[in-house]
Amino acid sequence: METELRNAIRKLLEEKTVDVAIGYGRVGVNGAVGATFVTNPDDVDRLVWNNECRQNLATHLTRAEIKKLGKPAIVVKACDARAVVVLCNEAQIKREDVYVIGVVCDGIETADAAGNKTGALMGKCLSCVEHAAKNVDLLIGDEAAAKALDEKNAPNAKSVGHYEKLAKLRAMSQKERFEYWREQFSKCIRCHACRQNCPLCYCNRCVADKNRPTRIDTSSSLKGNFAWNILRAFHLAGRCVGCGACAAACPAGIELDLLNLTLANAAEDQFGYVSGKELGELPLIGTYSPTDKEEFIR
Amino acid sequence: MSHIITLEQLKKTLADKISSGAQVVAPTLRGELAFFQKIDDVNQAVLEPRVRFQNSIKEFFFPRHETIFSFVRQGSDVQLVDAPEFDVEQIVVGARPCDAASLPILDPLFAWDYQDRFFQSRRAKSTVVVFACKTSDAHCFCTAVGGAPDSTNGADAILFALDDGSFEVRCVTDKGKALFSGKTQESDKTGAACAPPSVDFDVEKIATWIRGNFASPVWEEISYRCVGCGACAFVCPTCHCFDIVDEGSYSKGKRVKNWDSCQTVLFTLHASGHNPRATQGARQRQRMMHKFVIYPDKFNAKLCTGCGACSRSCGVSFGVRPALEELAKVANQSENN
Ligand code: SF4
Ligand code: SF4
Ligand code: SF4
Ligand code: SF4
Repeated sequence: METELRNAIRKLLEEKTVDVAIGYGRVGVNGAVGATFVTNPDDVDRLVWNNECRQNLATHLTRAEIKKLGKPAIVVKACDARAVVVLCNEAQIKREDVYVIGVVCDGIETADAAGNKTGALMGKCLSCVEHAAKNVDLLIGDEAAAKALDEKNAPNAKSVGHYEKLAKLRAMSQKERFEYWREQFSKCIRCHACRQNCPLCYCNRCVADKNRPTRIDTSSSLKGNFAWNILRAFHLAGRCVGCGACAAACPAGIELDLLNLTLANAAEDQFGYVSGKELGELPLIGTYSPTDKEEFIR
Repeated sequence: MSHIITLEQLKKTLADKISSGAQVVAPTLRGELAFFQKIDDVNQAVLEPRVRFQNSIKEFFFPRHETIFSFVRQGSDVQLVDAPEFDVEQIVVGARPCDAASLPILDPLFAWDYQDRFFQSRRAKSTVVVFACKTSDAHCFCTAVGGAPDSTNGADAILFALDDGSFEVRCVTDKGKALFSGKTQESDKTGAACAPPSVDFDVEKIATWIRGNFASPVWEEISYRCVGCGACAFVCPTCHCFDIVDEGSYSKGKRVKNWDSCQTVLFTLHASGHNPRATQGARQRQRMMHKFVIYPDKFNAKLCTGCGACSRSCGVSFGVRPALEELAKVANQSENN
């Protein structure tokens, strides 16, 4: 797959279909995987594909420095591809302005505190039922294998991984749940790595950065941290694609993906809406349908 | 002749300090991750040498957020109340050598044009007990910036973990002696730290290259992957930038000092909309220049202890060690040309 990926990208660069390829490379300490930008077809061997490709590269699509490089090709897993779809649907990028290369994925491993892979799959992967990226220009990898994995995961998808944690959270009393998030949020240092690594946190000026006047406390006090994390979760309601980039980047190890899953799950249960599924779909929060449930209005 | 303290004696020493009203900061586990935290019960402390912490001891000298003063407004009358000075004894135990080393690096900064009584009072009230490292990982590079797994720079005492669970105690300052006096036994056992982490780059050579290459395209190239967050600066024991904001309401509130990072767009954005550090390359260049050129020129110390916290915490596998390694490549090339 890696060779196929490199060959495809070499061709795209040689034929000038794209100006830059955003992929994964062994760029970090001890060969840790991170985003890699290739503009010269001779450099494609720097690109890798493996189960340490944790980052969602779509976050780079809206960064000024990367836009300056010209038309991009981007390597995406299925969950990352949904973020590209949301970026298109929310008019942040035009679909024709980016060449999307999907890679068939069989799950990404979690990293321990030193960044080494653990052998355990990320929670999102345990419940993944879409291993082959959709809405792509090119798919690399064995689609049949992807389908088999989808079918294997499907029966338990809503009860393992993240969903298992979500069920535990829901079984708690309100007080216990509050205590759980209090402990989690008290660790937050307000570095905004979650926001910066999230492809859907693309605002030029985040509300958390407004200072004339300040909208939410910028202090990493418990009050400020609650305000920040709840605010971010709300802004991702019906938008988060569940890629887990925020939680993977959080230096405090806060279970941000669980917070977002709570809202994504509500969007699915209440409105049958899964973010990033279809190009051209209207955003859940931005639309009204007469069939929408209104039970929450009392 | 060495001095030994058993784990029980160490715990008792700390427990006595807690009950005497001192603030004791120690490594703790929260979930699977280790954090330095103020402890109320000595059993919360994980008293063993560790490489990886999610935070550094910096926040107990230069907190994440700190009130400078509070205000109350009544009609046209405004009352200002200064924040009280830090005036309890603080014991920080279990710090790594590369954590403690940041304190003497930061001392001249907080006692330069402005005497920062917040930092200074915490420093004066604190005793820092370092655990000599027993392991290092691939992110560690203290050796490249003058550190070592058994460095006592910034430490009041250093403890070497022994196989039987006790520690060899070596006091460095009077504060260290005061903490351990009467608590140790004489022994002939001595401890040792792990081997120094290996590095294959020369920081001096890189600093020379940085001085002559402000406009190099390399800065942009190595920085494409950086997403401009604050993680690396906030976990760094030496990064010390802060922002000052008012919080509260019109009638009642406080002015606070919060951590800030030079990697965010907002850090240098002018009110006019102009940004002198317009790209991530310019921001990463600033970070490396500040650490390895500007701070050494001004305060005669590198603004980096080689702890590796930045690269361990970075979501895109960047941080100072990878940046130094990239720069070493170009520095070597330009030397050979
Ligand atoms: S959820 Fe996991 S298995 Fe599914 S596409 Fe994303 S990374 Fe791959
Ligand atoms: S990445 Fe984690 S620590 Fe940083 S702001 Fe987000 S939640 Fe807080
Ligand atoms: S180097 Fe990493 S941690 Fe630092 S600002 Fe860039 S992305 Fe964030
Ligand atoms: S720059 Fe990185 S390695 Fe150096 S002291 Fe800061 S966190 Fe540690």
